[in-house]
Amino acid sequence: MRIRAAAAAALASVSVLSVGWLVGAPAVQSLQATLTTTLTRPPSNETTGVSSTGGGTGGATTTIDASAPVAEALAPTSVTGTFEGSAVQTRFGPMQVSVTIDNGTITMVTPLQLTNDDRKSVQISNRAAPILRDEVLAAQSANVANVSGATYTTQGYLRSLQAALDAAQL
Amino acid sequence: MSIDTRTTPPRRRTAPAPRVRPEYRQRMRLADTLQVLCTVSVALVIALFLADGGAARFATPADVLTSLGVLAGLIGTDLLLIMMLLAARLPAIDRAFGHDGAMALHQSLGKPALSLILAHAGLLIVGYALAGEISVVAEVWRMLTVLPDMLLAVIGLGLLVLVVVSSIVIVRHRLPYEVWHIVHLLSYVAVLASLPHQLTVGALLVAGSPQWFYWLALYVGVAGSILVFRVILPVVRSLRARLRVEGVDRVADGVVSIRVSGHRLARLQADAGQFFIWRFWTPGLWWQAHPFSLSAAPTGNSLRITVRSLGDASAALGGLRRGTRVSVEGPYGLFTDRARTSPRIVLVAAGIGVAPIRSLLETASFLPGQATVILRSHTLADSYLADELAELCRARGAEFRVIVGKRPPGVGSWLPADAVAGPVNLLTLVPRLRDADVYVCGPRRWTDEVVRDARSAGLPPRQIHFERFDW
Repeated sequence: MRIRAAAAAALASVSVLSVGWLVGAPAVQSLQATLTTTLTRPPSNETTGVSSTGGGTGGATTTIDASAPVAEALAPTSVTGTFEGSAVQTRFGPMQVSVTIDNGTITMVTPLQLTNDDRKSVQISNRAAPILRDEVLAAQSANVANVSGATYTTQGYLRSLQAALDAAQL
Repeated sequence: MSIDTRTTPPRRRTAPAPRVRPEYRQRMRLADTLQVLCTVSVALVIALFLADGGAARFATPADVLTSLGVLAGLIGTDLLLIMMLLAARLPAIDRAFGHDGAMALHQSLGKPALSLILAHAGLLIVGYALAGEISVVAEVWRMLTVLPDMLLAVIGLGLLVLVVVSSIVIVRHRLPYEVWHIVHLLSYVAVLASLPHQLTVGALLVAGSPQWFYWLALYVGVAGSILVFRVILPVVRSLRARLRVEGVDRVADGVVSIRVSGHRLARLQADAGQFFIWRFWTPGLWWQAHPFSLSAAPTGNSLRITVRSLGDASAALGGLRRGTRVSVEGPYGLFTDRARTSPRIVLVAAGIGVAPIRSLLETASFLPGQATVILRSHTLADSYLADELAELCRARGAEFRVIVGKRPPGVGSWLPADAVAGPVNLLTLVPRLRDADVYVCGPRRWTDEVVRDARSAGLPPRQIHFERFDW
């Protein structure tokens, strides 16, 4: 009986752990993706001065990146340029993204500020950001699913993104 | 000196009983299931961490420390919740392990759980400090001032250390039971105080995530079990049973039998050999509760316990008035006929340990000639309830042996010096021992000696039953 119980416990535990591992695998891959992309991407965290754009929440003020070409297109579908979203305060720090649009198509979302109140939050946002980017590129809108385990990051990211899209009138 | 009042039981031929009873198999299946569930719950919290992509968070030394810290916290908390369930008097746990078995498991988890929680704190402080490239002291300060709910978590940890330290045996024996008990209740506060930081600081248990739902369900389940089985059920049962002291009979110096009457007591589903935790509602006694075994088989309207005045307060039990209100928690324990595995039965008692043995003898299933009762004491004067035992043995056809005399100094034995020199042991006293279940009740060290004797006679653990009375 003892041996049977130990065997059952071992078997059940291993299966539970494997399921956990499998469920976690996509997150692992995307984290590895982040690690490789952050190596090639120039550090964009220097734009902390932007946090003056409204301590706020919601659709607050939107600053349009001066350095980027802003197309004042008549038809909203032919927008081209890079647009910054507002800095959104989350419980774990400010979130801000910029969006690059080419002829009405979202081609890139770049995080300018990620939640970094503590090391933990940095880890979370590093994990969530690439997932969200891929989802946004696929959906072509800020209307994407929550990244589990990173609810605050997701909310901040998507709200900043929406502000940027609003600014681009996309 | 030895006195042998042996009744010669009539010989009878019967079909051999099955070697292992179905009740035993059922109980073992239940015990196995519970143990598997416990192990899986540990695996599950690790799986929750992995499902959140935890496997990728071992890239840097800081990440390794942080991830290990998170895992230590998860597993440690899971063990704490299991400990609480073990102490929650769940009927399934009592049926599977017995009360003292569950308490022994509870105790054995105490130190691992505390070590894991301490490791959790230490690893995360160092891990965060490494990641932030600041000193450990600065990191602690940052945690307490910046991160939410950390002050509560630190208070919880402090309380936990206090509870475990106070439980370590040496300290425990220097503290009055009530003080130890109140300190122990603080563990509930400790576990609750640590909950907020798990939800707000940890990245794993984010509101709305599957992990969050599981974790909260775990907490709600444990809290609910404690509330139902430790508070609501005992109160409801006591109120419905309308227990009152019926009479107090003097058994010997400092030993009394207390008869308690009640209403429809069959609903308690108590078995002979079990114990309740008793509270007598008099001005001097209401604030304390004590475990006492039934010394007579319970009936539909009466219970009886036999108590020796050991502690400060149990002395006052002799003066209980008729009509005093009584409340109980229980019944608890596996020191019953349900734990039987063999056709024969050997009941061994010393001192006030005779109480559950006496009630067990009344209802245990055996044929005449298949039971042996051994009563041990220093002198004839402290062999309690011997006349009642002799009478029951005569009525049921059990062999009755009273063995009197002091144990030899320096020799580990449960028998008197002349018997040890004999040499007499459990096997010579009961030649058909291997077909028997042995039930032992007495002082802890004496009990251990009997168990050792039975083990060396080749008896498997499943045929040896003992209940420890010390909390």
